[in-house]
Amino acid sequence: MPRLPLEGIRVVDLTAVWAGPYATRMLGDMGAEIIKVEGAANPDMLRSLAMLSQPDPRSYNKAGYFNHNNRSKLGCSIDLTKPDGVQLLLRLVAISDVIIENFRADVMDRFGLGYEAVKSAKPDIIYVSMPGHGKSGPEAHHVAYGTNVEQLAGLVSVSGYVGDEPHKSGISYGDPTAGTLAAGAVVTALLARKRTGKGQYVEIAQRESLTNLIGEFVVGYSMNHRIPERIGNRHPWMAPHGCYPATGDDQWVTIACETDAQFSSLAEAMGAPGLATDPRFAELPARHRNQEALDEQIAAWTASQDRFAVVATLQTRGIPSAPVLTHIDLLADPHLAARGFFERPRHTEAGAWPMEGPVFRFKTSEPHLQRNAPCFAEHNDYVFKDLLGLSAADVDDLYHRGVIATEPNMSGHQ
Amino acid sequence: MPAPEMPPSALDGYRILDITQGVAGPYCTKLLADYGAEVIKVEPPSGDRGRREGPFANDDPSAGEGALFLYLNTNKKSVTLDIAEPSGAAVLRRLAASSHLLISDWRPADLAALGLDYESLRTANPKLAMLSLSYYGESGPYAGWVANNLTSFATGGQMAMTGDADREPLKPGGYQADYQLGLNGFSAATVALFDLEMHGEGQYCEVANIEAMASTLEASLSTAAYTGTNLWRGRRGNIMSSLIGIYPAADGYIGVHAMPRNWKALVETMGQPELAEDPRFSTAQARLQNEDDLRATLYAWSVGQNKREVYQRAGSLRGPVAYVHDMEDLFTSPHVRDRGYLVEVDHPDAGTLTYPRGPFTMSETPWIAGRAPLLGEHTVEVLTTLAGLSEDDIAVLHGAGIV
Repeated sequence: MPRLPLEGIRVVDLTAVWAGPYATRMLGDMGAEIIKVEGAANPDMLRSLAMLSQPDPRSYNKAGYFNHNNRSKLGCSIDLTKPDGVQLLLRLVAISDVIIENFRADVMDRFGLGYEAVKSAKPDIIYVSMPGHGKSGPEAHHVAYGTNVEQLAGLVSVSGYVGDEPHKSGISYGDPTAGTLAAGAVVTALLARKRTGKGQYVEIAQRESLTNLIGEFVVGYSMNHRIPERIGNRHPWMAPHGCYPATGDDQWVTIACETDAQFSSLAEAMGAPGLATDPRFAELPARHRNQEALDEQIAAWTASQDRFAVVATLQTRGIPSAPVLTHIDLLADPHLAARGFFERPRHTEAGAWPMEGPVFRFKTSEPHLQRNAPCFAEHNDYVFKDLLGLSAADVDDLYHRGVIATEPNMSGHQ
Repeated sequence: MPAPEMPPSALDGYRILDITQGVAGPYCTKLLADYGAEVIKVEPPSGDRGRREGPFANDDPSAGEGALFLYLNTNKKSVTLDIAEPSGAAVLRRLAASSHLLISDWRPADLAALGLDYESLRTANPKLAMLSLSYYGESGPYAGWVANNLTSFATGGQMAMTGDADREPLKPGGYQADYQLGLNGFSAATVALFDLEMHGEGQYCEVANIEAMASTLEASLSTAAYTGTNLWRGRRGNIMSSLIGIYPAADGYIGVHAMPRNWKALVETMGQPELAEDPRFSTAQARLQNEDDLRATLYAWSVGQNKREVYQRAGSLRGPVAYVHDMEDLFTSPHVRDRGYLVEVDHPDAGTLTYPRGPFTMSETPWIAGRAPLLGEHTVEVLTTLAGLSEDDIAVLHGAGIV
């Protein structure tokens, strides 16, 4: 068994849906032991999105979206609305390194699981919160779903077709970006603990983490106090820089020229070398001013070709170009296949299907998916008996009193 | 430098050798530097190409660095060094000897041609960890592709979903493909440092943006992979469904993102609580069946609204409604101000400007509000203290155009 970067680190994971689970799946892929805790009355909402063609009484273990976001984790069930559930969680925290949550700002305190309470159970705990707005500030109590967060972050105001309305991202973009960041924030805190021996409280406000991804607009506004224009697929100085039609249903290809030499080569490839000496296009500033006319000519050239044929032509000439790939394209993509990106682990109840592998490709460790996503409460015995040392009778008592459970109640997500 | 009474930052004591330019690599190393790592930014003698990108103060490109570079290179030390020349590559190997981690955005084959591949660098420092950030990785049929933010965004899967159904796919504002690569690079770098601590020697790590982005496609890829059916086709538009979208307001744009449990709070925020009992909308299924009616109802409501008033009402009612913040809204937001998210940083050329604070806060180890370096500001300091060069050695390299 090769070494894994985060082996020996245990994370208590109270997160649900996307941002938080994306963070812990990354940590799990790198070898940390992730223990996902769900309440029977409040299971992860993604378990309700199975999209199966047939009704299935255990569909909550068969949702593709849930099972992708929660691979490389163990799962147990604790009801945190019960005092005994909170005590049980604190016992688990006492033998862990990290606790991470993405509840609304006030929820952990209501459970009695605020930082001070958790710290008294484990003095060097790293406690990570991921509230949408942060835990402080006048808007901390606002609802914070993905698309709203990106509006508040400023990203939407700088996105959109040329001269058109502000446009949302295609996904809840603030979620995977905050999740990716949170994985790094956790390890940053682990590195600090290694030196100081101290844990700490780490907070990621999703809207702030997203504004960080347009930081140059913030600094730029403080220079000139001008609201940036929306420029679609264009670039502040490169031209051409756009997305052009190809043959086939809804197929597209992107092309970007950074230099006059690249443009001259593009003009040759298009069979229109005169474009490179046309005063409207010969040099970058003029080309940038006249890109609408230029885009029409490029689109006329690409429209009769396969998107990969355009890319092959331009790549041999060293011109940045790539097809627009859909999720279906990516599942069948020859590059990802050659790199062995999709793995095919077998899930206890849901079977086997292609799943994207770890993004961080450590060459000595060669990490692969550590395990499949847990069925609901799948590892109750491991967590409560093996890790916490409870007797069979104690565990039965916890089941009896509803502190732990074997099946979720999905009715809250209907 | 942090004030003497400040405790050390989280990554204090780690030395990162950074040979990246543009956006992706610099965002990765900016985060590392802002949380305390010593980042040595090795730039070609002409400087990181990002130095020449606007916006510029007073729109004057001769005034110094633009906003992009100023933002992405805070707290780093700048060393000019032409590593494409053998004598420059030799100096880089000496710097690698005292570094924990080298971060590169070069195509691996190009770096190997300079004798700066991982195996060669390890002869200078057997413990060195290395992180390679690239759009497509070093193997596979696209490994040789030239690419940039736009073309990388296209192959990540997000672009095909972004924009209007009847128009071309749309990239969002700025450099979102590059930032995602940089963000993954930051987290991978922390893992690489932890791995080095735990196992006594570093290892090589590669992050390919096509893989990082293909992992972020919400339910579309995962559901298609599992069920074998494609439930999502084409672009999602600005109104993805009546209850997830952006609607015009009287003075800007309002965003709605309502799950079934938020329906009642939404209609209360709208000031139309009677909609909750309207048979067209009373259940999630009914709302789906009357999607067009609901969209029209929301539209008719939104166009007359003041964006700030709606948002304030949404807060007290827990309605799932926000509004599109432009830069002015961000700068005047009471929430942003209360949290101290925007900070002022002085720079000798650019003056005092406003920067976003770090994307996370740590209770015990401070984030550092520093500035970007001038080109070559730390060349002499770094090359004498870390590469063991004399002032004369540096003069010779300078004469040859290497530094």
